[in-house]
Amino acid sequence: MAARGLRGLLGARPRSTTTATAPLCPREAVQDAALDAAEDAVDALPYEQMPGPRPLPLIGNTWRLLPVVGQYQVSDLARVSALLHQQYGDCVKLSNLVGRPDLVFVFDADETERVYRHEGPTPFRPAMPCLVSYKSEVRKDFFGYLAGVVGVHGEAWREFRSRVQRPCLQPQTVRSYIGPIEDVTNCFLQRMQEMRDDRGEMPADFDNEIHKWSLECIGRVALDTRLGCLDADLPPDSEPQKIIDAAKFALRNVAILELKFPFWRYIPTPLWTHYVRNMNFFIEVCTKHIDRAMERLATKQDGELSVVERILAEQSDRKLAYVLALDLILVGIDTISMAVCSILYQLATRPDVQDKMYAELERVLPDTDEPLTARHLDQLAYTKGFVKEVLRMYSTVIGNGRTLQRDMTICGYRIPKGVQLVFPTVVTGNMARYAGRADEFLPERWMKNHDPSLDVHPFASLPYGYGARMCLGRRFADLEMHVLLAKLVRKFRLEFHHPPLDYQVTFMYAPEGELRFKLVER
Amino acid sequence: MNVSTIYRYSYLFKQKKFLETISKHSLLRYVRTSEVVNHGEFEYQDPKSEEDVVNVTYIDKDGKSNAVRGKVGDNVLYLAHRHGIDMEGACEASLACTTCHVYVESSHLDLLPEADDKENDLLDMAPFLKENSRLGCQIILSKELDGIQLQLPKATRNFYVDGHKPKPH
Repeated sequence: MAARGLRGLLGARPRSTTTATAPLCPREAVQDAALDAAEDAVDALPYEQMPGPRPLPLIGNTWRLLPVVGQYQVSDLARVSALLHQQYGDCVKLSNLVGRPDLVFVFDADETERVYRHEGPTPFRPAMPCLVSYKSEVRKDFFGYLAGVVGVHGEAWREFRSRVQRPCLQPQTVRSYIGPIEDVTNCFLQRMQEMRDDRGEMPADFDNEIHKWSLECIGRVALDTRLGCLDADLPPDSEPQKIIDAAKFALRNVAILELKFPFWRYIPTPLWTHYVRNMNFFIEVCTKHIDRAMERLATKQDGELSVVERILAEQSDRKLAYVLALDLILVGIDTISMAVCSILYQLATRPDVQDKMYAELERVLPDTDEPLTARHLDQLAYTKGFVKEVLRMYSTVIGNGRTLQRDMTICGYRIPKGVQLVFPTVVTGNMARYAGRADEFLPERWMKNHDPSLDVHPFASLPYGYGARMCLGRRFADLEMHVLLAKLVRKFRLEFHHPPLDYQVTFMYAPEGELRFKLVER
Repeated sequence: MNVSTIYRYSYLFKQKKFLETISKHSLLRYVRTSEVVNHGEFEYQDPKSEEDVVNVTYIDKDGKSNAVRGKVGDNVLYLAHRHGIDMEGACEASLACTTCHVYVESSHLDLLPEADDKENDLLDMAPFLKENSRLGCQIILSKELDGIQLQLPKATRNFYVDGHKPKPH
């Protein structure tokens, strides 16, 4: 209670219109709807007058590389969008994009709040043209009407989402995965110990190992199985190795397919053909494991249901479970593993922060090998604050997007429907206007009873998005990261003895380079 | 997989009763033991005895009071649905929205278990936030909450606009 009381009400929440000030000011009675109407009546400036770079010069050709904005972000978008903000202000238009709607960048967290709050029941979240094309054209036979949550819109999206939402987000269900995720993480830590070179450091391609860990975690959640990706010396034709290769392909090549000029839309390029084959393989894996889960369910006598089992038990169509598993896998590997690369890098390069985290873990988990429980995790306030702070300063997904479903006045400009709004959380989360001491890394700001001057505007840093289309996997993502940190930091110290790495966007915003962490026993 | 399993499995499918079988037997069986999945059916049962009764007053956004007889174990959101009170709960207690936002009157506020991080994170983003804000879907009635008053905020404005109301499930 105290945290929110201070954070939301008494603390200096910068310039929020609806939330913080409403209960305290006499205009409380004014409803949003009335505000809307009033706003519409006011002379809004026409869309044409919104500032923004004229097609080519200023940002060179970067705009050519902007794919549809959504879950998957783009080459230099982080830098480009910060640049756009400096140059043009809180609301910037990027128009005349070939073959795609205009983009409007919104750097005003109050406006972001207003847009999110006023969404209808089926917000349109543009995403991944490759996947859309694969789902709606190439394998229409398989996906049909209920094609999942990613790249699907309107009623079909709403129906699917409402059927899978509770199993995926309800904390009670998620909590039952603490043990399974801990098992996977223990294997991963074991492997990290074995991988150390003579200097005690991780190999140059350690990020691959992180991908395998996240693959193993997501397999456990979405497919109810241990895929075996963390086993040493996998034969090249074994299923886990094939899954690793397929995930790697997806990771590296979806960016190319979506960032470069999309020739694949017109002719089946070799890369596209490979992409389709790769996706077919994923469907095969999902189908196989879900079928097995179904068999287990049919004979299951008692005990709690897993996510997959809940979905199978509640839904008449098994397809739903296949498609959900596929969506979870496709978006749950690279997002989490890139976030973990970033988190481990920040951890290793901030020894003082790591010490505080260790102190907390030592207190909550006096016995190093004690299995984690929900009660332990609930007490890890600093560790959780650390994750939030990494995501505020270095949000892995650099922004979120919405296609406007109706005309709307934003930042004083009348924006026509169909325009794609971009909310670059990686920029707004770092703006001094929205976070106290914004350029300092302070996990404390997310903890209860923190200094209110450190408050963050609740709509400035939204790494998981907001509202009806909020990340479906966020509870699992958080759980995986918290468990990994708890297990790792309790036993080891992570160090980094190399020149600092640069953050870059290769789809996700993460440190670029060799993650040669040194692993030292505590 | 042994033969009898295959037989049972395909038989169920052929009968097209698979869904019903699973949901009426297996699922309910798990649900009752683990209490993981509550779709609001529980709130539709009447209190078994007077000892079970927990009186709740919902005050809607126009200030009108609705006194409701709930029972121990009821979820405040689903109880509101049962009695036609205008509490939305768009995400069905998944802790993904703030459309069941309520103000808890002070004498009962401290009797509630403290909100966890996930609830606090969402409340931070709730419109018309106050010191005594909570999410209705996270309030489970106990005997000591008897007499609790819950005031609905002026607006929740989260998922639905234009007066659309989702049907309770």
